[in-house]
Amino acid sequence: MSLLDVQDLRVVFPTSDGLVHAVDGISYSIDAGRTLGIVGESGSGKSVSSLTMLGLTRLYGAKIEGKMIFEGNDLVQMSDKDLRKVRGNDIAMIFQDPLSSLHPFFKVGKQLIEAMQIHRDISRADARGRAVELLALVGIPDPKRRVDQYPHEFSGGMRQRAMIAMALANEPKLLIADEPTTALDVTVQAQILALLSDLQKRLGMAIIIITHDLGVVAEIADEICVMYAGRVVERGTAEQIFHSPQHPYTWGLLKSIPRLDGRRDEELVPISGRPPSLINRPSGCHFHPRCPYAQEAHKRIDPRLEPVASDPGHSVACLLAAPTRQRIWEQLQAGAEPESLVHLARSESPAVASEAGS
Amino acid sequence: MLRYIIRRLLWGIVLLFAVIVITFAIFYLLPNVNPAVLRAGRTPSVQVIKEIAHDLGIDKPVYVQFWLYLKRLILHFDLGYSYYSSASVKSLIFDRLPATISLTVGGVIIWMFFGVAVGIISAIKRRTLLDRATMGVSLAFVSAPAYWLGLVALFLFAGDIGKFPISIFHGAGSYTGLTNSPLNWLQSLLLPWFTLAATSAAIYARLVRGSLIDVMGEDYIRTARAKGLPERRVVFKHGLRSAITPVVTVLGLDTAILLGGAVLTESVFDIPGIGRLNYDAIQHSDFPIVQGTVLLAALFIVVANIVVDILYAYLDPRVRYT
Amino acid sequence: MKSGTKTLAMVAAICGLVLALAACGSSGNNNSTSSSGSGSTSTSSSSGPKPAQDGSGQTITGGTKGGVLNVVQHEDFQHLDPGESYFSLDYEVIYPTQLTLYLFPPNNSTSVIPNLAAALPTITDGGRTVTVHIRHGVKFSPPVNREVTSADVAYAIERGANPNVANPYFPAYFNYIVGASKANGGPISGISTPDKYTIVFHLTGTYGSFFEGALSLPLSAPVPKDFAAPLDAKKPTAYGSTYLADTGPYMIKADPKTGKFIGIGYQPGKSATLVRNPNWNPNLGLPQPAYLDQININIGGDPNVIGRQVLQGSHLVSGDTPSNTIVKLAYQNYYNQFFAVPGAAINYVALNNAKGPFANVNVRKAYWAALDREAMVKVAGGTIVGAVATHFIYPGSAGYQQAGGDAGPQVDYNMYPQGNMTVAEKYMKLAGYPSGKYTGSAVIKVVGSTGDPAPQEAAIANQAALALGFKTNFNTVDQPVMYGKYCGVPKAEIDVCPNVGWIRDWADPQTLLDPTFAGYNIVTTNNSNWSQANWQDGPYGPHPGKATTPIDIAMKAAEGTVGDSARAAAWAKVDQMLVADAVAAPWNFVKQPQIESKDVNGILDLWNVGSFDYAWTWLK
Repeated sequence: MSLLDVQDLRVVFPTSDGLVHAVDGISYSIDAGRTLGIVGESGSGKSVSSLTMLGLTRLYGAKIEGKMIFEGNDLVQMSDKDLRKVRGNDIAMIFQDPLSSLHPFFKVGKQLIEAMQIHRDISRADARGRAVELLALVGIPDPKRRVDQYPHEFSGGMRQRAMIAMALANEPKLLIADEPTTALDVTVQAQILALLSDLQKRLGMAIIIITHDLGVVAEIADEICVMYAGRVVERGTAEQIFHSPQHPYTWGLLKSIPRLDGRRDEELVPISGRPPSLINRPSGCHFHPRCPYAQEAHKRIDPRLEPVASDPGHSVACLLAAPTRQRIWEQLQAGAEPESLVHLARSESPAVASEAGS
Repeated sequence: MLRYIIRRLLWGIVLLFAVIVITFAIFYLLPNVNPAVLRAGRTPSVQVIKEIAHDLGIDKPVYVQFWLYLKRLILHFDLGYSYYSSASVKSLIFDRLPATISLTVGGVIIWMFFGVAVGIISAIKRRTLLDRATMGVSLAFVSAPAYWLGLVALFLFAGDIGKFPISIFHGAGSYTGLTNSPLNWLQSLLLPWFTLAATSAAIYARLVRGSLIDVMGEDYIRTARAKGLPERRVVFKHGLRSAITPVVTVLGLDTAILLGGAVLTESVFDIPGIGRLNYDAIQHSDFPIVQGTVLLAALFIVVANIVVDILYAYLDPRVRYT
Repeated sequence: MKSGTKTLAMVAAICGLVLALAACGSSGNNNSTSSSGSGSTSTSSSSGPKPAQDGSGQTITGGTKGGVLNVVQHEDFQHLDPGESYFSLDYEVIYPTQLTLYLFPPNNSTSVIPNLAAALPTITDGGRTVTVHIRHGVKFSPPVNREVTSADVAYAIERGANPNVANPYFPAYFNYIVGASKANGGPISGISTPDKYTIVFHLTGTYGSFFEGALSLPLSAPVPKDFAAPLDAKKPTAYGSTYLADTGPYMIKADPKTGKFIGIGYQPGKSATLVRNPNWNPNLGLPQPAYLDQININIGGDPNVIGRQVLQGSHLVSGDTPSNTIVKLAYQNYYNQFFAVPGAAINYVALNNAKGPFANVNVRKAYWAALDREAMVKVAGGTIVGAVATHFIYPGSAGYQQAGGDAGPQVDYNMYPQGNMTVAEKYMKLAGYPSGKYTGSAVIKVVGSTGDPAPQEAAIANQAALALGFKTNFNTVDQPVMYGKYCGVPKAEIDVCPNVGWIRDWADPQTLLDPTFAGYNIVTTNNSNWSQANWQDGPYGPHPGKATTPIDIAMKAAEGTVGDSARAAAWAKVDQMLVADAVAAPWNFVKQPQIESKDVNGILDLWNVGSFDYAWTWLK
């Protein structure tokens, strides 16, 4: 049995402008000791699913459907009180901006101690001792002195290490890292990722890394979900996603990663267009307005996440025929511009499309 | 930290000196009123005015006058004598100060209690009927002139003239010193306290509400929740701790201004405090008293600024070393 | 005399601000009676509402001894030194604590009785010498403790000329003493004390009868020279502002060792306490019954609040004038606790007799005829606290009846309270305007004062000028500015001053007419002859300082007239001449409203402005 099994999760926020379909029927699972990467642009709903896990979307009046089975219990159905016991204890979370995520008026040590004292009966002195240990564990030098400092006295990387220390305070079974490195510079990013990876090995916890940057999860994720407009559009192992990506959106994400092995003059290609509104989502395939290969039929037909033939464990929600996708990806890898490959999509028979979409 | 405090104190002294210069300029140089004439009584001869002018030192050059004035003020806290009653301004101020302090401290406690409580409830129950109702009532209180509110309170509830008299609310003019009779002191101040507090409580409720709503949207509140903290603790410890900081700044200045004299409340309830002293002095063109009370008010504000700055540094560790 | 009058005029202008609360229209009061048009206060004097109690015929004996009276007053005192005080509120403390030589008892506003004096004065030498014997055995309060002598009275008056004391009415009334006009605090040659209990005043003219009234003013209360002289050397004096010796039945609570009362019996702006004078001897036959044990005075508070406290509370009186709102409330709901004492002041519209269209007597008569005086009285608070004026000597003053009483002298321009345009046009025609309307080119200047209800009163006065065909330049300014820059400055050449008023110093009409209409009293600034009546004898006229006009000659004669009834007749004649000359348009005989709690038997001083006299008042 998986540590966490998310089944057909839907999260809708009622607002004055209309319903926001933040998460629209996603499913994934993660086993103990494994790492799952959830990748997508901001506004793709990738953070909402994990916030929902901790019950933090309830506070804003979200309507939640589906199941999130954690160790046999459905987090969606759990009472606030029970959920609070899971929160920060079995499941811990670290956030994007470590400066704004730590309380500016409390000492780092105090915030760590508080995290421990909520969930376990531990004396102040013991908690303090453990806080020092935790800071040492996450690689903060001189932890005995640092424990009495305020967040603003820490550098960005150290703050994130402190956040991680706080998340680890109660030895969680699942650590959710929401954009853990986005606010940090590149060298520090690598250190933090290495730290997470190292801690996982030593503590044996599962990790969900939420990021907009496929590069971040390249090294450490076992499995990757690519999300777009509240849905999972592609899922597979890291190997599958990086070597035989199936979805045009994933191609776009891959193209926008700076590669150490890439040519110096290679341009980073961001995906053109903007993420869609989650209130009025595009009809058919939600990605069609931004997809260079979209056909007329794609505006009507809503693709489902389906297994990729001949590649077990790899799924994609795309209306293009598998051979077409194969050809386009090959051309793209060879350095072709997406615009020059549009004819490849056009030439495919509508029958394939309708078969996929029916 | 110590250097920070010393810097603030020095700056405060500079400010006070500026205020002294300005009040000196306003009250000694600007008006066309010769203080000697005001002191001389009703039928002064030219000779008498000259003598008084000499006694007052106002026949000397301006800079000498200012030096003498400064010397008296700093060495003896001598603010001169009332033109009207010839009483020493210093003794008048010390005589009136307890009433003003009593009024201010009680009012501040009441308004902070209600302001913060209502603000928190409104922020937590944001957009509910309760929130809308309390904010509506507070808007009404914010807009109500204190003097009018005081009159209404007296006409409705005062023990002596109220339509629905409540005997523990002693009426206007009943102020008794705390040391004379603590019970009478309390009962004479209940209505003024609530009147003084009403407007400010409403303002503070809105301030606390807005500030708390902003804070509750901060990332570190999400962190606190993600840690598994109970909501109560999230609001009162993590939320309020940040939300109250800007309130402290305003509170410091408001308190200082009130200590400088709550003219309207003191007038309507006939409390012999600094505000009424100042008001009466203005009515009678009694410049030494006006000057004394203005200096006192400035002193309170400068001191409050320093206290607020130090308190702010204490509350928000980020400002300590800047 | 001239500089003296100047002083008096200046003081009068100040009094116009604070003393004549009703007369000048107390600021901050609701002007509800005018706008609400409430039927109860509208003026149809014949079938009008029940008149308020006016204090006439009050019983001043048979009270009960004991108890504490609480006084609430919005205003503070000005001077508690008998040598300086010249303010009705101050008098409420001065008279119970100081023994003046003579006194107007509460039930008689026109003749004095002996107070510190043992008997009425002996006036000899045709009115040029006034001899007063004082009582034996009267003692000063601690720390002086010794018997009062005639030298103490002499010093009290002499110090009035001391610049550090600067008594405001000394020049007007005490310069009649030989040598007084040159005095500056030292002995005055015209005052002698042949023995410990006798004081003799030698006057410069036959002013004895008038001077007798001046000896009822606070300046005549004894001051112990040994105690006060060092204090009087201070600028200004510390006697009466910090230290004091009292002789009345009460004293301002003070330190018995030093006589210091400031901070003890008087906290400026806060409170005052009158206690029984331990050295008061009730067996000397002094007139004050002194029923009360103590009087606590609380200073400050909103007039509408303290008024209600008095009406609804117990053992309370209002020390100063209640607001119009309270007056209405008291009159309607607390009739028995309310008094409106006639003779508080007079209000009139001053018309420029010297320059401009109003220099023509017929234009002045036309203006008076056109003026809706009833509307002005209504705006000022209605007939509860006022009555339409018909002449200048106001009710309660000697000579009022002789001058015509309520109806006034028989002239057609004072007969119509609401104004009468037919009469007005008749006089305009006599003035040389055949159409009955002004056809000249002059734009007349009308300056009124701010502070309700003065601007509304001024607007009615302005309306009368417009009705006569004048173009007006109408302004309202702060009251001190109105007196100090416009109406009190002849050179400003203001044509119409609608918001001026006057209060007598005692019931002798000289104190009412002399400062306000004598041409020889006109001064260049702080003038109180706002009409510049008899301007020919003023500084810009052909005979400065002399009495040449018929009215001025009559006034000079009246000043020196001896005997109460002769004086009343002489001044009544002056009043009639002033009406015949229409020197100004009188519109309000102001009444002084007073309120008390139901269990207080307040006794009112009818001779001054109708204040409570605490030396007579008792608790029921």
